Amino acid sequence: MPDLDALKAEAKRLLDEGVVEMIIGFKAGDTPLHPQPAFFKTVEEIDRLVYNALCQNNLATYLTRFPKTQKIGMLVRGCENRSVNALVIEGQHPRDGLYLIGVPCEGIIDWRKIIEKTGEEVISVFEQSDNTVLVEAKSGYFTLEKDTLLHESCARCIHPNPISADIVIGELLPEGDPTLAREQVAAFADLSLQERHAWFRQEAERCIRCYACREACPMCYCEECFVDHVSPRWTESGTTPAGMQGWHIVRAFHQTGRCTSCGACERACPMDIKMTYLTEKLNQDMRQKYNFEAGMDTKTPPPFSTITLDDKSRFIV
Amino acid sequence: MSETPKLVLFQCQWCLFSPADQEWVDSQLPANIHLIKVPCTGRINPLYLLNAVQGGADGIMISGCLPEQCHFKTGNIGARRQLEEFSDYLSHIGYEKERIRFLWLDLQDRGIIQKELAAFEAQLEAFGPAHNLATRAVESAGGANA
Ligand code: SF4
Ligand code: SF4
Ligand code: SF4
Repeated sequence: MPDLDALKAEAKRLLDEGVVEMIIGFKAGDTPLHPQPAFFKTVEEIDRLVYNALCQNNLATYLTRFPKTQKIGMLVRGCENRSVNALVIEGQHPRDGLYLIGVPCEGIIDWRKIIEKTGEEVISVFEQSDNTVLVEAKSGYFTLEKDTLLHESCARCIHPNPISADIVIGELLPEGDPTLAREQVAAFADLSLQERHAWFRQEAERCIRCYACREACPMCYCEECFVDHVSPRWTESGTTPAGMQGWHIVRAFHQTGRCTSCGACERACPMDIKMTYLTEKLNQDMRQKYNFEAGMDTKTPPPFSTITLDDKSRFIV
Repeated sequence: MSETPKLVLFQCQWCLFSPADQEWVDSQLPANIHLIKVPCTGRINPLYLLNAVQGGADGIMISGCLPEQCHFKTGNIGARRQLEEFSDYLSHIGYEKERIRFLWLDLQDRGIIQKELAAFEAQLEAFGPAHNLATRAVESAGGANA
C-alpha cells in the first residue's frame, strides 16, 4: 500500500515549487470501487488525491491529451512507467517535460471479483496491512484475501516497480515470475487451431464496439483510428462478423512492440472480454524474435520501427 | 470435389527482372490466382493480408526483392517484420502460418515464380480450404443452390 501522505507531500512540493504545472493522479469516484483519474493543478486540490488498489486506469493514457510543452507530473506504477517510456520513444512527450512519482505496485484489484462476493452495493473498501481487504457492503462485512482479487494482468506482472521514475515512494518489490507470466499464452497456444479460432471468434463477436479498450490504452492515441476511417475503408470495420473480428485483430496488432502488458484494455471492457491473449502473443513474439520488451528504456525503438539487413527470419531463404 | 485453392499473389513490380516472367504473371496467371501488384513490398499493409484472408484466400504469396536488392533501398525491410509477425499472429487465431508464404527473388532469378506458385498450390490443396477467418468470402456454389 502506498504511503498516501508521502505521495501528497511530494505532489504538493512539485506544484508549489513550480516543477510541474499539473499532476495526473486519482480522486474518489462515485463509488468506492471506482476511483477516477484526476488532474490536479493547485496545492489545495492535492488534498483530494486518492491512491489505492482500485485505481484501475493506466494514467499514461492521458499524457497524449496535453500539449508537449506542458510540464506534467504523474503517479506511475511499473506498467505506467513503461507506457510513459514507450510514449517518450514515440515522441509523444519529452522526458524532461515529465516528473514521474513512482510507486511500486502490489497489483490492481478487479472490482468485479469483489462484487461477486459482496453484491453490488459496496459502501467502503479498506486495504489492511495483512494483505486482506475489508469490504463493507449492504449485505454485510467481508474480509477478502487480496491475492484472490487481483486483476489477471497484475497477478502475472513481472515488473511491478517503476523503472525510471524521478522519485520512488515505497519499498521496491521483488520481480514477478516470468514462467507464470507466460502461462496464459502458452496454454492458449496449446489448444488446437480450431479451438483457438472458435474462442477468438466467440470473444470478438461478443464485443459491443464501445471502444473502451482503445480509450484505456496509452498506445491508442491515433487522432483517427483505422476503424473510424470509412473512406477509403482500410478493412471491413462494421458490425458484421468480418468487422468484429477485424477490429479485434487489428487493435491488438497495432500494439505490437508497444504494449506494456498493463491490462487496462481488459479492465475497461464492459463485456469482460479478456483480450490480452492477443497482445501477449505479440509481446511474446517480440521477446523471442527481437529480444524486445516495450518500455524498458527510453531509447530502444520497437522492432517494427527498426530497419536492419541482418534479420534472421524465414525471409532470407 | 473441385477444390482448387484460391490464391492471392502480392507482387512487387520490380522483383521479376526477367520480362518473360513478368509477362507470364501479367497475362497467363491461372484464374485461381488473384494478382495484386504493388510498387514495393513495403507498400503492403498487414490489413491487405487481412482483407485477403477474410475474403476467402486459401493462401497468400508475397513476392519481393531480396532485402539488399530492394528498388527503394530499404522499403521492403520495414515491411518484412510486420508481415512476418502478422502471419504468425494470424496462426494464433486460426489461419495456418503456412498459408502465407514469402518469396524473395534475386534479380538473376528466372522462371522461379511459376514453380513456387505451383508448389504452394500443391501444399494448399493438401491443407484444404481455409474457412476460419473467411468472413467476407463470397458463398461458393454449394449446398442447396449447387
Ligand atoms: S493493449 Fe492493453 S495491455 Fe497493452 S498497453 Fe494497451 S491497454 Fe495495456
Ligand atoms: S486501434 Fe490502432 S488505429 Fe485505432 S487508435 Fe489504436 S493504434 Fe490507433
Ligand atoms: S472494450 Fe470490450 S466491448 Fe468495448 S470495444 Fe473493446 S472489446 Fe469490445
